Amino acid sequence: MLRTLLANPKAAVGAVIVGVFLLLAVFGPWIAPANPNQRVAAPHQPPSAEHVLGSTRMGRDVLSQTIHGTRTSLLVGFSAGLLVTIIGVAVGVTAGYAGGRVDEGLNLATNIVLVIPNLPLMLVLASFIGQAGPFVIAAIIGLTSWGWAARVVRAQTLSLRQRDYVLAAELLGEPAWRIVLVELLPNLTSIIGFTFIGSVLYAVTTEATLEFLGLGDPLAVSWGTMLYHAQSTSALLVGAWWEIAAPGLALVIFGAGLSLLNFALDEVANPRLRTLRVPKAVMKAALSGRTA
Amino acid sequence: MPFLARRLGFYVAAFLVAATFNFLLPRLLPGNPVDVMFAQAGTALPPESLEALKSTFGFLDEPLPVQYLRYLASVFTWDLGLSVKFHPLTVGEVLWASLPWTLLLVLASAALAFGLGTLGGIAAAWRRGGWLDSTLAPAALVLQAVPPLVTSLLALSLFAVTLKWLPTGYAWEPMLDLGWTWESIASVATHAVLPVTTLALAQVGGYLVTMRNSMINLLGEDYITLGIAKGLTESRLRHAYAARNALLPSVTSLAMTLGAVFGGALVTEVVFNYPGLGYTLYQGITARDYPLVQGQLLVMTLAMLVANFAADLAAFALDPRLRRG
Repeated sequence: MLRTLLANPKAAVGAVIVGVFLLLAVFGPWIAPANPNQRVAAPHQPPSAEHVLGSTRMGRDVLSQTIHGTRTSLLVGFSAGLLVTIIGVAVGVTAGYAGGRVDEGLNLATNIVLVIPNLPLMLVLASFIGQAGPFVIAAIIGLTSWGWAARVVRAQTLSLRQRDYVLAAELLGEPAWRIVLVELLPNLTSIIGFTFIGSVLYAVTTEATLEFLGLGDPLAVSWGTMLYHAQSTSALLVGAWWEIAAPGLALVIFGAGLSLLNFALDEVANPRLRTLRVPKAVMKAALSGRTA
Repeated sequence: MPFLARRLGFYVAAFLVAATFNFLLPRLLPGNPVDVMFAQAGTALPPESLEALKSTFGFLDEPLPVQYLRYLASVFTWDLGLSVKFHPLTVGEVLWASLPWTLLLVLASAALAFGLGTLGGIAAAWRRGGWLDSTLAPAALVLQAVPPLVTSLLALSLFAVTLKWLPTGYAWEPMLDLGWTWESIASVATHAVLPVTTLALAQVGGYLVTMRNSMINLLGEDYITLGIAKGLTESRLRHAYAARNALLPSVTSLAMTLGAVFGGALVTEVVFNYPGLGYTLYQGITARDYPLVQGQLLVMTLAMLVANFAADLAAFALDPRLRRG
């Protein structure tokens, strides 16, 4: 399966993009040309040879802030994504495998979490907590956003549960934990991976959104706080587009990388979606009733 | 119709959960939000508003279950308390005044995205693997990954600030007295172009991919092959046979996506200073206006529930299996 995945050009491009950002997150502080919190230039300087992505109103180097921000944004994204996946898989597998009352209860909870709008809920939580640091934001996102994951995993577990090999394992008297860990989870791998990547993507953009709305810790350096400072200093209206463009494009490119990975994963897991090209002439002939 | 009755019961339960969350949160977190708000309000609030705030949160000297029932009673009579930021106004008044603008953005962008995405998905699935499919599908996926926050900021920078084609913010020309005149409508429309387009851009990819994938799955079914064998015209096969049945997942996702669109609208409004719920809320957050922040959760939840019920009705119409109960 891994080989099919790597042979897929979408997966390859996605993996390269995500890989580059991971490297930036790990080695950022050694790569960045300047301290992200230090005044190193005149305010609102456009991109130049000295400051490749320009400077902010406070005279900070935008490139350095973007590189440093990668670490915070990715850390929040991956930890929130992990939390969403763990809760989603736990709830989904339990509901799907246990069935009956347990399933009814967990499914009701999942549907309620899904129907209460996420961002407004997080706004209430974050505003009561006050200026939330990156890890508090990751926890808020993780605890409120597991609905989709649980629904998808439950559906897949329900269908796996009907298979003969699960029935065979049950008849052999295998304990429930062994059936879940050995028979069910390995067959859920692709859907869990899909959920994880999707959740990371969701978490990274949601963190940026919460911070942009002023609910984050303004002293932390992340893509979201960069956008927040740009907005609160009216960077756009005075024409300092680079202050928005740098963190904005980082969000877009990283997100595109993740979704390319996910698209490829979906194609590998669902062979029907793999595109078999039907020549136009054949299609026409088939439709007009003649044999091709 | 047991299906619809069951759904209605579920919606009441969901709303209760949101209200309970609002009730419990200030009690579970350390510190008294009323004191925090009072200290941060900036202006001197009269003593009766301190009392009003306390009763908004139900911080009265009563046992917890009584406080809870009182709180629920006030929520269901739509008494959400007084706003701190917009002082003499109640939270209900502030929210109702800004709700229409948000609904305009949400509904217009959802309609635009659903229409374009569905048509694009049909076209891509019909010739899967063709040039249209191999450009549209990945493009849609990448678009879906772009948060409205970024699109709206970039669109504002490019079309409003740099090119000056469209206004940079607000919902109508400030000089204008808003009324049902052509001038007003034109002004509202031009001000809505950027927010609506950026919001639609974030949704269109999802509909396109959903429609494409469910259509591709259906095109392998026997009844389509039978349709081809019967010699049906291409457009009849494509629309009446395949697309009609493939539409169901898109309709369901329409309702679920609306929650995300409301979230997106919150952000878009802040970027464009658009006077809807999001912008009001943004002002509320900076002023620590807890009643307002909590009130918007109830309004947004209610909007979600209505949208979901509408989607249930649509599914009911599209899928005969549901009508049999």
